[in-house]
Amino acid sequence: MRDEQQLDRVPPAEPPAVPDPDHDPSGRRQFLKKLGGSAALAVTGAAAVTSLQAEPEANEQVEPDVQYGMLIDLRRCIGCQACSIACKSEAYLPLGVFCNGTASTEKGHYPHVSRSFLPRLCNHCSTPHCTRVCPTGATYKRPQDGIVVVDQGICIGCLYCAQACPYTVRFLNPVTRFADKCDFCAHRVSQGVVPSCVNTCQGRARIFGDLNDPESEISKMIATNPVTVLRRAMGTEPNVYYIDVDFADENLKRPGEYVRVTTHQGSRKKRG
Amino acid sequence: MWTWPIYGYLFLAGTGAGATAISAVVLMRGAGGAFGPRYFDVARLGAMIGPLPVIIGTGFLIFELGRPFRAFNIMTSNFWFMPLNPSPMNFGGWMLLPFGIFGVLYMFCFMPWSRWLPGVRGNLLDAWSTKLRGPLAMIMVPLSVATAIYTAVLLGAVPARPLWNSPVMWALFTVSAFSTGIAAIMLGQRLTYRANGDREAERHFHNSGYALTVADLVLIAFELMIIALFFMAAYFSYGDVRYAIQVFLSGGEMAGLFWVGLVGIGLLVPFCIEAFFVLRKMRTGSFRVPYAVEIVTPLAILVGGFILRYVIVIGGQITGPVGL
Ligand code: SF4
Ligand code: SF4
Ligand code: SF4
Repeated sequence: MRDEQQLDRVPPAEPPAVPDPDHDPSGRRQFLKKLGGSAALAVTGAAAVTSLQAEPEANEQVEPDVQYGMLIDLRRCIGCQACSIACKSEAYLPLGVFCNGTASTEKGHYPHVSRSFLPRLCNHCSTPHCTRVCPTGATYKRPQDGIVVVDQGICIGCLYCAQACPYTVRFLNPVTRFADKCDFCAHRVSQGVVPSCVNTCQGRARIFGDLNDPESEISKMIATNPVTVLRRAMGTEPNVYYIDVDFADENLKRPGEYVRVTTHQGSRKKRG
Repeated sequence: MWTWPIYGYLFLAGTGAGATAISAVVLMRGAGGAFGPRYFDVARLGAMIGPLPVIIGTGFLIFELGRPFRAFNIMTSNFWFMPLNPSPMNFGGWMLLPFGIFGVLYMFCFMPWSRWLPGVRGNLLDAWSTKLRGPLAMIMVPLSVATAIYTAVLLGAVPARPLWNSPVMWALFTVSAFSTGIAAIMLGQRLTYRANGDREAERHFHNSGYALTVADLVLIAFELMIIALFFMAAYFSYGDVRYAIQVFLSGGEMAGLFWVGLVGIGLLVPFCIEAFFVLRKMRTGSFRVPYAVEIVTPLAILVGGFILRYVIVIGGQITGPVGL
């Protein structure tokens, strides 16, 4: 019953053809477009130029037709970690690594204390830093639905992308030895089913849908609620939105205040 | 987490590229330069010391990959459309491949072929070496400078690591590459030189030692200045960079290693030793340095270069953007 309701929310995007014709490893179209000048094009050779001219504009990665996004309403989140587990079993992740981890923040002195939760996953950024540094073009933003994926046929596991992601959501999958992260359950959403973590969420805190469609539930929720994204200053333009995040952090606490952030990577010493 | 393969590579490639660049420059300058008749020995030392560490370091990088046997995907995954993409690692791949090839050729040009292969073949190889050395040196200068710079570009390209993402870091790594490269040549020169009672040869040996020391002194002074600028830029910044720099300030995780290991042992101690002997040479005209000092000073510089790579690579990763 609940599944059916949620199914309605997700307009099925075109399933990706294999091999994906829009895959643009190395971002050459964007890059060439940026270079712009005919002198620069001449250098890269006539073949590249003709293939470039033959590409229809629709192939540009910049503005996907469908941009999937997620809204996590933390007023409804109880920190049960069901999403982390659903995600792990959906993605067959081995021990110790997570595509979705729910951090918790404790703060204050008794009796004035609080605990808040923050599920974190890949933000499927509109300006992803991870794809920019990938030397092989293995990770890219899919033009048909805006999901940032890793092509395991190309990835070499250099983890440069993991350094570049400001949200530390990327990791080396110890079994496959490729870079791995949340892929918005691309295999599910391309069939019109919501992602596993959304499906499992006990408090129905997660809403998944198309941000480019003003009639989708997620767009309406974003329009009618105060929302934030994480680390906006990094300029990644994330597509995972939050309601009611507690941004208290060890580095920015007031003197004498007690704040502890616990993540799936352990209680953090690491800043960032 | 990037660990020993990365800082090992950064150190080996920096030192190797620095030594190769110095060797090529000295060779092209010829006997008229500060090294006098010893120029060829210095060039040969640099050529012997330089390329191998870069190749070994590149091996570290490759075996650190999740899938080492796909390493060439860096250059070939989209080769037919656009072999270059904006990723620094792709740039690095295209830099290291010719560096490896030409570096090994350049090294071979300095081998005593006719001593190893008596007869026609040895003589032929010697003749080719003599002919190829100059053109190869000309190729090696830009390639080694690019390799030295690349070590910093790799780190500097990610805004998510505020400590790395700074143009000052690029200057620091490049200057350190040349300084450690010179230190490696100084060490090699001291270890391979045998005094045979020839006064003239000994004078030339001390002269070339002096030329290397003066160059190193200037580079270390630059490095100290760049570190000062780095702290200044971070101190007058805010947010991410300001918080990141705290790993090196008192109470930070890497403060001891940074100030004692890098600034103390790696920079100030060699700087003072070198300055002392250079100033004495200016006053008395003789540049006689005790054997132990000539061993310890370049070693301290090399250790400092390694510590620099270590603290930057690890320090950059334990800091990150501030806030959730
Ligand atoms: S959250 Fe990180 S991994 Fe995901 S798209 Fe953004 S930069 Fe890339
Ligand atoms: S680990 Fe894979 S996806 Fe990430 S930067 Fe390297 S090649 Fe690209
Ligand atoms: S969308 Fe899928 S892969 Fe991403 S966190 Fe949720 S369950 Fe995991």
